[in-house]
Amino acid sequence: MSRELRVIMLSWEFPPRIIGGISPHVYFLSRSLAKNGVKVYVVTCDFPGAPQHENVDGVEVYRVDSYKNPSPDFATWVYLMNVNMQKEIAALVRSLGGGVDIFHAHDWLVATAGVGLKHVFRKPLLATVHSTEIGRRNGIHFDYERMIHETEAWLTYEAWKVICCSDYMVSHVQWAFGLPRDKVVMIPNGVNVDVYTKSVHGDMSLFRSRFALKEEKIVLFVGRLVYEKGAHVLVNAVPKVLEKVNAKFIIVGNGYMKDQLSALVRNMGLSHKVMFTGFVDDETLRALQKCADVSVVPSLFEPFGIVALEAMAAKSPLVISDSGGLSEIVEHDVNGVKVYPGNPESLAWGITRVLTDDGYANWIRKNAYERVREKYDWDKIAQQTKDTYNGVLGEYSKSFWA
Amino acid sequence: MLVVIFSWEYPPRVVGQLAEHVKTLAVELVKNKVKTYVVTYHDYLTGGHDDKDGTRTVRVSNPVRTHIGVLTWVLTLNQEVERAAANIYYAEGRNIDLIDAHDWHFIPAAVTLKKALSIPFIYSVESLEEHRSHGANYPFNMAIKSIEWLGMYEASQLIVKSEWMRDEVIRVYKVPSEKIRVIPPKTSQWIKNSLEVYQKASGGAVVG
Repeated sequence: MSRELRVIMLSWEFPPRIIGGISPHVYFLSRSLAKNGVKVYVVTCDFPGAPQHENVDGVEVYRVDSYKNPSPDFATWVYLMNVNMQKEIAALVRSLGGGVDIFHAHDWLVATAGVGLKHVFRKPLLATVHSTEIGRRNGIHFDYERMIHETEAWLTYEAWKVICCSDYMVSHVQWAFGLPRDKVVMIPNGVNVDVYTKSVHGDMSLFRSRFALKEEKIVLFVGRLVYEKGAHVLVNAVPKVLEKVNAKFIIVGNGYMKDQLSALVRNMGLSHKVMFTGFVDDETLRALQKCADVSVVPSLFEPFGIVALEAMAAKSPLVISDSGGLSEIVEHDVNGVKVYPGNPESLAWGITRVLTDDGYANWIRKNAYERVREKYDWDKIAQQTKDTYNGVLGEYSKSFWA
Repeated sequence: MLVVIFSWEYPPRVVGQLAEHVKTLAVELVKNKVKTYVVTYHDYLTGGHDDKDGTRTVRVSNPVRTHIGVLTWVLTLNQEVERAAANIYYAEGRNIDLIDAHDWHFIPAAVTLKKALSIPFIYSVESLEEHRSHGANYPFNMAIKSIEWLGMYEASQLIVKSEWMRDEVIRVYKVPSEKIRVIPPKTSQWIKNSLEVYQKASGGAVVG
């Protein structure tokens, strides 16, 4: 191929529209692919104030009407939004003279558009599975969930390759959708280390004083306040930690368990030691991560655990529960502390260990930072993704569609 | 001329009046030397086949078996309709002159094929959600209406079966009257008038 590789990236979120982890993932992946000589067209949902078309760091971004009419439910909205997305991508590919090599879809939220475009243009489809319905819901219980599960299965069936961000997710999707091992590729998620080295928050002690007293250590939790993220495990670990160390527990994020969690804190008589900040902006979040004496990720289900990488990049010592993708990121006693999932005593032990031994904390902090630079660097991830694209195109060139 | 008809019902799967209407139309088109494919839903009673009358049928099933309503069922079936139509397009040397979409169900597929492969389509209106739902305007009805609107906006021509329906389409969707052709079925002029619309919408494809 004489011209550059051209990829259409389908994602239901892209900055400034940020719902979850797919938005930053697609943002960093596509700009790193662009730096590595891949022409990327991201097609995503519109957002108030964001232009319909713009070039972001070498990536062409198109925002399509995300279906403004009321929908009976979320899944129907998704399928209707896909009608618009598919229509706009069809017109885009046509305007490029059909010269597109790959469609790359992120999660079931863009499944129907991706599958349709594959067959209409007869180009290979790749799917990144960030999460699954069966994992999110801990099983399939209702028709609504089964419909989404079967849509996910269909997407992975139609995809030439399925990309997952951790070894845990590789085996999870094989189990959930009955996929052969050689159809699934593991490419880790990444983290942008530069935003932590660059961001300067003036006098950090002043910033810190907004959250904790001088003599208090800061224990930081960042995540949606939903069951699988395990914030309740952390709250139950608080008294045990306070027996040994004077600390302030800062919980960042929102979710359906927020009221329940703050009631729990009140009833335990810990309101002065646990602070709920709600959703905070990027700058505040990064500053918090930088001044945290320990970052805690006590998830019960975690496909990848990007918040762990962020803590590592911010040089905050890390305590994680030994579950899902987190288990692969952390090597116990080397770049973090592993504790038993759903076990407050174990979690308290891990936090106390870091907070009472500065030499140990600095050792895991330093190793974690090096690990994040070498393994979770977006340029390397983009290169692996590009290799996957080229591998698929090599196979495709021998098919009767070529 | 090569025409692909989209219909969610087709014999032996008969839900309402549309199935027999589409079957008669397809047979008459073949008699008039139009190469005719019908893409429809596969209910596991019959497979895809070429009929003795010269019509070619492709039946697709829904890869998503569990649904919460007709809307999600339709919206996931459209990609299989696109796949079937694309297979016809590529097998016929990258050519389909026209798609004739009956009712709203496969409008999303017709619109994608128009944008992607420049295949024009006409929208044959059998009924409207406005009447089926007796004016109800729940999000469910509005979603179906938005698909009907999309079809009317993107289609080259609309075919309706009565003057009354033409007036209703104009009233509900503000479609310019010159875009709508009234052709009552099973009259002596039915096929002749339909072929006229086909020829105009396909940019002058030759019959025979």
